[in-house]
Amino acid sequence: MTGHDRDSRTLTAARAERARERRLRTRDLTLAILTPVALLALWEVAARFGWIDVRVFSSPSEVAAQGAEMAADGSLAEHTLATLARLAVGGLIGAVLGVAVGLLMGTSRALHAALGPTFSALYALPKVAILPILLFIFGLTETPRILSVVISVFFIMQINTVAGVHAIDAKLLEAARAYGARGIDRFRHVILPGALPYIFAGARVAVGTGVIVITAVEMLASNTGLGYLIWNSWTLFMPDKMYVGLVMVSLLGAGLTAVFALLERRAIPWRRGRRA
Amino acid sequence: MTTTAGLEAHGVSKVFFSGSDPVWALEDVSLDLAPGSFTCIVGPSGCGKSTLLRIVGGLEPLTSGEVRRGRTEERIPEAFVFQEHGVFPWMTVLDNVAFGLRMSGVPSAERLARTRDWIARVGLSAFEGHYPHQLSGGMRQRVAIARAFATGSPVLLMDEPLGALDAQTRQLMQEELLTLWESERKTVLMVTHDIEEAILLGDRILVMSARPGRIVHDITVPFPRPRTVGIERDPGFVELRHRIWSLLKDDVRASEETA
Repeated sequence: MTGHDRDSRTLTAARAERARERRLRTRDLTLAILTPVALLALWEVAARFGWIDVRVFSSPSEVAAQGAEMAADGSLAEHTLATLARLAVGGLIGAVLGVAVGLLMGTSRALHAALGPTFSALYALPKVAILPILLFIFGLTETPRILSVVISVFFIMQINTVAGVHAIDAKLLEAARAYGARGIDRFRHVILPGALPYIFAGARVAVGTGVIVITAVEMLASNTGLGYLIWNSWTLFMPDKMYVGLVMVSLLGAGLTAVFALLERRAIPWRRGRRA
Repeated sequence: MTTTAGLEAHGVSKVFFSGSDPVWALEDVSLDLAPGSFTCIVGPSGCGKSTLLRIVGGLEPLTSGEVRRGRTEERIPEAFVFQEHGVFPWMTVLDNVAFGLRMSGVPSAERLARTRDWIARVGLSAFEGHYPHQLSGGMRQRVAIARAFATGSPVLLMDEPLGALDAQTRQLMQEELLTLWESERKTVLMVTHDIEEAILLGDRILVMSARPGRIVHDITVPFPRPRTVGIERDPGFVELRHRIWSLLKDDVRASEETA
């Protein structure tokens, strides 16, 4: 057998191996998409044949029709945008404050000693539980709704940022010090980028929590927003609308999570494709 | 010129507490480094040689004694090269090398020029935009070395700069370091555990004792410059290596047994 033959056979085998890996990847993707589609189809069939009570479990096609109607009359956009605006404003304020306080607490031992235990205790408090106090103070306005989001996001971001600062390799901090990094330069070039992986991990949790909190708050103290839509549909016994609200909240959560995943890839290029 | 700065330390002692027992890390250590000289410190592990380097560089407070740094008018901080993890994973090669210059406020045009020059001198021009995790260990250490040289500091402090590299890369880097230093002649204080590396690179070798760390021998390396790794075949080299090892051996054994 010649060397050339051997080479070409090895190459053929390597190509077959690669093709197999690609086929498996396509199969995984197909399965991932097929599962929810199959479940929806099953739901639709079950509703059509009367296996489930359509007064409670509207069929997917009815929910879709309802959604289209609400999209046409503008009520869907109105509720979605109301929720999104509260999330965006509250989330942004909470995140900026949380990261800023977290960076300061992470670098100042005294500040950490003074605030750490108190903040940990407050973190454990369910934020929805303080809504009545906020309503007392601010009345039935936008302020308590946005503040609920601010407070929820603040504690998550603050705690994660502190953890991120503490996780920075002590040798890197020493190198920064050796090269004269001080004050704002130190925060900008060393502390903030060093803590960024934890900050983004916190942001992912904060997005999820923010959606939960704003939905609950809108159910209790609002007449706009997806939370209100869901709750109001339940009190009026309109399950189709309720499901439209549920689907929109899920899409909102998923969409925001995807946006943050993208931002994370952009902001932490040095974490991408990292070798183990 | 900035290259004239030497370094002096007088009667430096460092004591810390382990529980309620005082531990003497350094006892009455004095140093006087001539401007533009290359000095290596060898000693058993735990003898306080890294502590001494950190004290000299102002990274750690001393318990008693005094450190006097150079005679330079413009105060550029001593530039450090650490064993590993010294480069910032979130910065590209370019930003890492520029870091010291950025922190000391060098304007961006000059900073970029000097940074690019040093990146070229350590042979990493093609990797300017890479992040450290995309580089090999030897390349990462080149980044750290370029960062130190680029600051323009007349004093370089190196703590086992090649200690984390595999033997072959290490040999290669020793030669590169030798060439770089001989073209710049900065005042260097380098901690190493590799006796051959100390002889190859150093003008002087300070031998430290086990804890409490003291400088017990001050050896002048007789080989002329410019040097090459070829001196390792010189009988004088072998003899010197043997002499230093026999000075260290008892202390190394002792520190192994108490550790």
